[in-house]
Amino acid sequence: MSFDRRLVRLAVPCALAALFLTLGATPGHAQGTNQALARRVEQLEQRVQELEAERAASAPAASGRTANISPEALQALLDRVNTLESRLGDLETSAVLSEPETRVKRVEVYVDNNGNEYDQPTPGAKKTVTYQRERVLRRQTINEKIEEALSGEEGKRVAIGVDAATVTQFASQTDGPDTDADGHAYQFAAADLTFAANLAQNTSFFADVVGVSGSPPDNEIPSLTLLNGYTARLQNANELNLREAWLRTEVFNQRLALSLGRLDLTNYFDNNAAANQETTQFISDALVNNPALGLSSNGSGVVAVYDAKNGVNFKLGAQQSDPAATNLSESIFSLAEVGYLARPFSLPEGNYRLWYRRDNSSGRQRDGYGLSFDQKLNPNLTLFARYGSSDSDAGNDHFYSTGVQFEYGAVLNPLDAWGLGYAYLDLGSGDSEHLQELYYNFHLADRLRLSLHLQHVTEQRVGAESVGYLLPGLRLQAAF
Amino acid sequence: MNTYKLFSAGLGLLLACGAGVPLGAQEHKMPMPAPLNDGRTLLSDPTSVVMIVNRDSNDIAFMDIKSKKVVGKTFLGNNVNPHMVMMSPDGRYVVTGGTRANKAYIIDARTLELVKAIPVDIAPEHLSFSPDSRWYYQGNPDGDSVSVIDMTTLTKVKTIPGFAEPLNVTFTPDGTKAYVGNYGAHWVGVIDVTRHELAKKIQVAPVQSRAGLDPEKYLTSIQGINIAAPSIDGRYLYAADTDLGVVGVIDTREDKVVKVIRVGKEPWRIYMNHDGKYAITANNGDETISIIDLTKNEVAATLEAGPDMTGINFAAGKAFVISSTSGFVYVYDMATLKPAGRIKVGVNIQLETATTDAADEKLYLADSTDNAVVIIDARTQAMEKVLNVGLYPWGTHIMDSKDNYCH
Repeated sequence: MSFDRRLVRLAVPCALAALFLTLGATPGHAQGTNQALARRVEQLEQRVQELEAERAASAPAASGRTANISPEALQALLDRVNTLESRLGDLETSAVLSEPETRVKRVEVYVDNNGNEYDQPTPGAKKTVTYQRERVLRRQTINEKIEEALSGEEGKRVAIGVDAATVTQFASQTDGPDTDADGHAYQFAAADLTFAANLAQNTSFFADVVGVSGSPPDNEIPSLTLLNGYTARLQNANELNLREAWLRTEVFNQRLALSLGRLDLTNYFDNNAAANQETTQFISDALVNNPALGLSSNGSGVVAVYDAKNGVNFKLGAQQSDPAATNLSESIFSLAEVGYLARPFSLPEGNYRLWYRRDNSSGRQRDGYGLSFDQKLNPNLTLFARYGSSDSDAGNDHFYSTGVQFEYGAVLNPLDAWGLGYAYLDLGSGDSEHLQELYYNFHLADRLRLSLHLQHVTEQRVGAESVGYLLPGLRLQAAF
Repeated sequence: MNTYKLFSAGLGLLLACGAGVPLGAQEHKMPMPAPLNDGRTLLSDPTSVVMIVNRDSNDIAFMDIKSKKVVGKTFLGNNVNPHMVMMSPDGRYVVTGGTRANKAYIIDARTLELVKAIPVDIAPEHLSFSPDSRWYYQGNPDGDSVSVIDMTTLTKVKTIPGFAEPLNVTFTPDGTKAYVGNYGAHWVGVIDVTRHELAKKIQVAPVQSRAGLDPEKYLTSIQGINIAAPSIDGRYLYAADTDLGVVGVIDTREDKVVKVIRVGKEPWRIYMNHDGKYAITANNGDETISIIDLTKNEVAATLEAGPDMTGINFAAGKAFVISSTSGFVYVYDMATLKPAGRIKVGVNIQLETATTDAADEKLYLADSTDNAVVIIDARTQAMEKVLNVGLYPWGTHIMDSKDNYCH
């Protein structure tokens, strides 16, 4: 191909491509522009053929013109052609060009009494904050643009989540006089629908609506603590209930978080890394909560959590815990807790929490206190324990629980977990309960878990024979 | 290249050959050529500056560490969108990949002039130098290749194919092998540097059979291995696999995985502490960090961190974890392995990555929202912002820093 023809073949499409870029054709215009470009290329091809025909007719003149170009100039032109070819290749293979990136920036300006705005400090002008558009030349792919737009929209939306579980349990009596529960099967299902949204800077909203249905073993087995932790959600079966609805904001450089609304104080106090979630860990309430806390249901409340992310945190909270209360003065539980992250004896991390509770639920002030800790012994094994003491009409109630959780190492599949726990409740009235539970949680998929449980509970009531039950169970949980 | 430069280079070559020093076979720092007397030298000491990649102004800025002023900028061209900058170990050149120009850019480290733009493959991002400064390996994630540039001739000699979104390259201390983290796969590629060929693939960990139950997770996108980071003696490499939630430990003598360590969810990558005792993964899936004890190759602590972590730097006995979208840098005491507070850099800002000075005293963190570099004193945690370093600073680099990385 002659030099002139190469130059024509490359220069015109490149110029057209440059025009395309300059006009900042959007993906929506790309198709029309490509067709126009194709038509122009066809026209150029035709023109090149005409030029060749003309050159053939005046070949000595063309040769003469080429012969008159110095070698250096020719080399320079060839270099330019090579560059143009390379750039054309880049355009064809590389990222699709987009219009200039636009974003809004928060800027500080200086405004005087006349409203005149300056970029630099100016006598008589006060510093203020305003917002302004900025455009930059950033080339992005269409995929990147789409992803950016979608993630921007996601941040503005209300996030909806679902957590549903169904629990099937069987009761087999192991001790004591025959009871109705022996040989019975139970099934209980719960579905939580959660809503979360950002409302303002460092301020968010959360709501949890739950529906429960079924018959838990707690209806027939008179245990001191709930054998199915989901039963705590039960207010009215087969109805939707608002479990939580609160606003949360962070102040003082986001060190202090304040939550206000209808909430569940057990979500903030007496936590435990190995024994806190009836959805994924133990199913017995005695192993995921501390009865000495005394909270029987959710209600209006407020919580303040101070966490400077240095291993120490403080919490204060108050919540009403009686759905039948007629005013906010009744059944108020107030809690305070201090938490500390430790690594004793060069072990991995351990969390230690000490709490104190005061309530007026029985018409007089009652106190309680407790501690909860979870300590990793190695990357696979966590030890946990709880203790609680509560003032009651019959004297002091005492509660103890302990156990272990295994992850990662001693499991069938890497994301499975299993645990073994023991809980003992000794009431001031003389009644007591011993409970043991073993569970294995299969992580089937990111949103689906299946766990097997085996519980054994022994109830000792004053003046009655002790009664014991073995309860194998199965829990299927899905979370979005 | 002018006559003077040709003469200096040739003289250097003769002297090196006469001394019997084989070029390219061992770590070798070429002496800096004598500065020109024509006043064009802007940078006499390459260790005295922080290099800043400005993505939207398409330039590399050079900020003097002492005065905290930008002493020079090298404009690369419109729509280049540079990604990562690095100075060659011998201090002669500064290089960067222009992600949207599909080119590698070579800058003279003394005059700060752009000396060459070399076409590479699609969307170049992260890069690495061989220890002897001879080879510049430019990773091209969208082209699934690594471009090999000979720094003695400033030409591309080869494009090595066969990778899956190669993100980072790590050379062995003797320069004979290079290990490539593939974010689009679960293996680390081993390059034979003597032939510039992909010689082996080392699978870090198998994908669990239960992955078949989760096609939405495993078949829509893949988040594999960002980097194979070296231990302090270079014998072992630590490669975090994001999807699998593990760190594979590779013995470079035999090129085999000797241990797989379970860490938190979706570890973005692993960062090596400077004393060789610990490494930390930034687990963006559950907003934690996992601190790995390298003597036992097991997790020593898992601690709460922040969202969207883009980097971890080490200085003054602490680890500084950059939480990109929260505006915080989380601090951890590396002696006790416990949290030590967090530094609020700003509100509604996006933090990128940081480099640490060679004395392990200060961090230089890119704040792309404010077009600034934030200087954090690691001891006092005091902060200072240097504004107007360029548009959308994406990363920083200091020669001889132990924390030079990109995201």
